[in-house]
Amino acid sequence: MTKDITPTRRRFLKGGALLAAPVAIASVSAVALADDGLKARVRRLEDEAAIRELHQSWLRQVNTGDRDALLDSAVRRITADHTGAPDKIEIAADGRSAVGCFDHAVDVETPLANDCTLAQMAHAQGYGTICRTERRMLTIDYTKSSGCWKIGKVA
Amino acid sequence: MLGTPYPEKQMHRIAYTKLTKEQIAAQLDPVAQRGPTCVSPLATDFAGESLKIVTDDGPALKYEFASNTELSVAEDGGKAIHAGFGALEMDHICLFTHMIPGTQRGYTVVVDRKSRLATVIELWFSGYEDNREVQRQIYYGYIDGGGDVPKKRHEPTDRLEGRGYHWRQDTGMETLEYYPSAGYSHFVELSRTGGELGFCAPSDYVMLDNDFFVYTRTECEFSGAFTAYVIDMNRTEQMGLRLGFDEGDNLQYYLFRGHGDIVGQIARFEKFGDYSGDPIPAPKGKDGKPVKGGRMVYRPIKTMEKLTQEEVAKVVKEKSAAFPDRTATGGAAGMATNALPANDFLAGKTFTLRYDNGPVMEYKVDSADELNWRMDGEGEWTKARYQAYEVAPGLFLFGHLLEGAPNHDGHIIAVDFHQGLVTCYNGFLNTPYFANEAGARILFGVLEMHGIQPPMYRRHGRTTEMLGRCITYSYAPGLTSMHLYSTPHTVSWIIFTPDGHGGMEWSGPGGFVKIRDGIYFMYWLEEACNGTLGTILLNLNIMHDAGIGYFCGARGLDMSQIGAVVRHAGKFEVDKYF
Repeated sequence: MTKDITPTRRRFLKGGALLAAPVAIASVSAVALADDGLKARVRRLEDEAAIRELHQSWLRQVNTGDRDALLDSAVRRITADHTGAPDKIEIAADGRSAVGCFDHAVDVETPLANDCTLAQMAHAQGYGTICRTERRMLTIDYTKSSGCWKIGKVA
Repeated sequence: MLGTPYPEKQMHRIAYTKLTKEQIAAQLDPVAQRGPTCVSPLATDFAGESLKIVTDDGPALKYEFASNTELSVAEDGGKAIHAGFGALEMDHICLFTHMIPGTQRGYTVVVDRKSRLATVIELWFSGYEDNREVQRQIYYGYIDGGGDVPKKRHEPTDRLEGRGYHWRQDTGMETLEYYPSAGYSHFVELSRTGGELGFCAPSDYVMLDNDFFVYTRTECEFSGAFTAYVIDMNRTEQMGLRLGFDEGDNLQYYLFRGHGDIVGQIARFEKFGDYSGDPIPAPKGKDGKPVKGGRMVYRPIKTMEKLTQEEVAKVVKEKSAAFPDRTATGGAAGMATNALPANDFLAGKTFTLRYDNGPVMEYKVDSADELNWRMDGEGEWTKARYQAYEVAPGLFLFGHLLEGAPNHDGHIIAVDFHQGLVTCYNGFLNTPYFANEAGARILFGVLEMHGIQPPMYRRHGRTTEMLGRCITYSYAPGLTSMHLYSTPHTVSWIIFTPDGHGGMEWSGPGGFVKIRDGIYFMYWLEEACNGTLGTILLNLNIMHDAGIGYFCGARGLDMSQIGAVVRHAGKFEVDKYF
């Protein structure tokens, strides 16, 4: 009846001993392995956080009118589209490059060609552009050098 | 006594004298001393009164009234200056006006005794490259009676937008005045110039309260004269002033009263709850601050390309293009973004368009974009590029240039294959003012083709069914205008700001022909503007049109497609005035 059952505690302990063993054994190799994996994961999380921070900083540049931000000249404002796909950041295995995909609403302003009366009047009254909002999946290339992430190409 | 009210030249053709400052001063000085004239009795009970007005970002004015026609005014605590003045009153609203002797400036002040609020309009000559054009700056403030400073102010508004009035002033002046914009207005002088054409002017609209509003216009690009009045919206009465030089360079400075009729109210296109005015941003100086008196004014004659007959002949020969391929980048291409598709119904057909008192035009149509034409059975056939659009079953609009015509004609034709009828807008150049400014004549006639027996007597005809209507035309994203058909011979067009306010406005002579029930063929001439002949065949049954533009500039002679999705904004009832 109970002959086959080792008291839980003892079994636990036994098991614990068995578990501990791997741990004890791991204190040499498994822990070392876990430590490397943890470091890599921490590095990845830090990289992702840095890229997100860089992305927010870039959005602030764009939205305050910094024309040096890497954009086509028609873009006036970019806002996150929370109904769209979640942000995706893929970091290369060597940790030196990454690609971010961000679903955003992009406000675009295109000048009206000034070659008809109505367009000329629109320019005369200070509204010679056509404004519209588009949904765009921005794909941004990043590179890391000297520990810092930088934006490469924005598409 | 025989005579007509029609002027030898319409307003936009008058070469108004470029008056010097000295010429202006010579007429202003005596008027500043005695004040404005007025046919109606002036307001009384001013003698011995004083008034202090404080404005936001503007002058503080201290008035002492010696009588009903004499005052002294001190600006910003300075020395008091004596001037003549005149005042009118309506209920709790008082309007008074005076110039400042020794200057080219003056003020018109509108005071609300109930709210203690004031609107001050500073007026001056010699503030623009054309000295005769009255400049204005509006300040909002209050009567300083020593009590609490009112928090509210009179303010610019769009609440008058869409209104139309017939006014009859105590001077005998009779006008139609339309407010299809929150920054411009359109006026028709029925009595003084016979009301054939209407004209446009930058305008201000100020709300005093729910019952009283102020309207101003400056006839920029014409005489430069300034008109302002308070409207009693319930009684449809006005009191106001006019300051400026007429076409004879005579100074007008008078107050007036008027009675009116509301001729209609059309739709406005701002979002519900948006009552803001001043939709056209004012220019700023180099320091980024607003320029006193600054306003954006549409001055098309300044930018119009003006060609001589020789230059026209050269560009037409080298660069004529009918319906060239365009990329969709807005502008002229944008005028066709919402256009009806080109149609190949005419391809392979042979027919004659026989115009009464006009040419007989024979056609052999090769394809969807190429035809051959011959006039009056003479000479060789001429190949021409064309496009056609089916606006309603069996009703087509098509157009082509007439290569070799001495005045570089173009024909824009509405042809009805169900009725055997045709109307042509014959555009041409080498007109009297600028050789590249288009003119147009209307040709009525019949279609002769195998299987179609045209009527003997029946023709399309001119119509007034579009008179007073306002239609919006959306040509492309960001390119929407509204037409106002203000007289039987005028087309006015208003463009909108991005938030739906009516903005700048201009107008020109036009014509209206009824083709079928709900279908109208219309044209307008952008005289003293861009020189374009614009035509549209509007089908109100489908709320769409097809159109063709005819334009000559340095780039050449161009015939191009126009098309828009339309809305009916409303109709002013003005038939009885014509």
